[in-house]
Amino acid sequence: MDNKDIILDVKKLNTSFVSDKKETKIIKDVSFQVKRGKTLAIVGESGCGKSVTVHSIVKLMPRNARVRAKKVQYNALKDGAVTEYSLDKMEAYGKEMRKLRGPEIGMVFQDPMSSLNPVYRVGDQVAEGLIEHEHISKAEARKRVLDMFKKLGIPDPEQRINDYPHQFSGGMKQRVVIAIAMISNPELLIADEPTTALDVTIQAQIMELMKKLQVEDGKSIILITHNMGLVAEMADEVCVMYMGRVVEFGTLEDIFEHTSHPYTKALLRSVPVLDMEDGEELETIPGITPNPADLKEGCEFADRCSECMERCRKGTIPAYEVSPGHRVRCLKYDKFPEVD
Amino acid sequence: MLKFIVKKLLQMIPMLLLISFIVFVGLQFTGIDPIYYMISPDMAANTDNIEALRELYGFNDPLLVRYFRWLGDLLQGNFGYSIVSGSSIKTLIAQRLPATLELSAFALVLSTIIGITIGIVSAIKQNGIIDYIGRVFAVVGQAIPQFFFGISMILIFAIKLGWFPTAGRMSPEGVGFGDRLWHLVLPGMTLTLSMCAVLMRYARNTMLGVLNSDYIKTARSKGIPEWKVYLKHGFRNAMRPVLVILCFRLPMLIGGSVVIEEVFAWPGIGTILTQAVVSGDYPVILVTTLMVAAAMLVASFLVDVLTALLDPRVRIGE
Repeated sequence: MDNKDIILDVKKLNTSFVSDKKETKIIKDVSFQVKRGKTLAIVGESGCGKSVTVHSIVKLMPRNARVRAKKVQYNALKDGAVTEYSLDKMEAYGKEMRKLRGPEIGMVFQDPMSSLNPVYRVGDQVAEGLIEHEHISKAEARKRVLDMFKKLGIPDPEQRINDYPHQFSGGMKQRVVIAIAMISNPELLIADEPTTALDVTIQAQIMELMKKLQVEDGKSIILITHNMGLVAEMADEVCVMYMGRVVEFGTLEDIFEHTSHPYTKALLRSVPVLDMEDGEELETIPGITPNPADLKEGCEFADRCSECMERCRKGTIPAYEVSPGHRVRCLKYDKFPEVD
Repeated sequence: MLKFIVKKLLQMIPMLLLISFIVFVGLQFTGIDPIYYMISPDMAANTDNIEALRELYGFNDPLLVRYFRWLGDLLQGNFGYSIVSGSSIKTLIAQRLPATLELSAFALVLSTIIGITIGIVSAIKQNGIIDYIGRVFAVVGQAIPQFFFGISMILIFAIKLGWFPTAGRMSPEGVGFGDRLWHLVLPGMTLTLSMCAVLMRYARNTMLGVLNSDYIKTARSKGIPEWKVYLKHGFRNAMRPVLVILCFRLPMLIGGSVVIEEVFAWPGIGTILTQAVVSGDYPVILVTTLMVAAAMLVASFLVDVLTALLDPRVRIGE
């Protein structure tokens, strides 16, 4: 597989936060690839480092974060030729990185309520990136914004383009946030729990919208979520994270049909399904996620794992490739070849 | 927006009346008997004289009568006379106001520019050298009392170094802008520095808060340059609370700074007020207090209008 098929290649990404001169590791040796035109879902419970991972990639991190990576490479494809960008070597807010944000990589954030600047009209906020990168006139930008609003199903767009964020409902605000991310027609869309703050009916609408845009234009998506139903619907590949590590990575089929890691199994068992028996209880994962500051050596999931063995608590657990492209970080599979 | 402004303006009238009443009544309870300030001690022995004077000045009338008489005079532009010097309060204020305006405007403009600039830069370069110096300066600026600071300035720059005059607004022989400015530097800078401290801290903290908000991340995700992130998205949001402080400093233009004017023998309104309080010159106290209160109302009106202009959410209730 060459660079044409891989849009984003992340190798051994490590992120830590420094507070009171103490460094706490949050993301540990995260590696994954996003295939062009496909959707990668990153799943895991709250605090497992999903958001930090993608924010580290696009370098939108708070000042006290330290990000190191062996490789974070974005491959832009234009007229059949690939241009490689090493994001890990770029300055966070430098010119190179800024040129990619918007036209190449679009971002949708978790909370639409606070993601829009309260003092500017939504139309201007959407147009801002467009004017910045394409140097077009305001009138032209307005036309493009109107088209995008129509595409995203915002009713009465001519009127609403002049409204302020507080005049929008949550679902409509998220459409505006998506419009900001998509207006420069990026190849890769990173959606960080785009529907968590919205109610279920709106969730479905927003996701359908994103899926439609992806299929029509052949875009790639990284979807961060803890909603397994959404994963099943949207994803081509799935990356399961726990305590800052990728514990299982594979195609949708690998993860749902050949579930391998005990954590992924537990995660799937805790999803409510329609054909549950009366009185059948939904399973939960025992225990709580440990504090990243006082993690012991060995497997991070050991204390909550029903299949935990003595040797799970020693050293760093490597990942094993149980079938091509399906990686599991669990000693149960140590007869398979080790991979990075 | 126009309706909003008119409404706010009309609301000021009853407020002003209420304030004037409170000031008037409040002053009656201070126990100041102006008569004793008006006559020489040997005359005070004669109670008949005192009674006659009381009757003459209408001090024996009921409170409400006196209040409305005073208010009526005031509305006709008759501010009354100082009971100490006998001069017209209007003339007194007309003489002193330019001095106060000069000093306060100087300090207000300078402290706003310096305070906000350092505050914003400190927030952008958090824990940088400017932030560090600014933080030390802010603590020192707030901790040192104005009078001490003023006296130190006089000691160092006027007496030891002889760069600036020790006090006053102009030299007896000196006329012209240069001489005025030369006199203005020390009191102006003293006032500026003490006003900077609060503003700096405030601007820094609100800007820090704004820079951590999600919409700043959204702005950055668009790939716009950092200066636009700071000035367009950060500054305008951070300025709303800072503007409130600024507006409420405007009454200073009229009221002056009592301490600084006293230390530097600056012939402004602040000095009138202290003299009036010391000598029980209650008509002067009344008028100056009311002037400052009116200025306060104007300031709060400005806050309302400016926040509405800066923040569309405030305009909802129009």
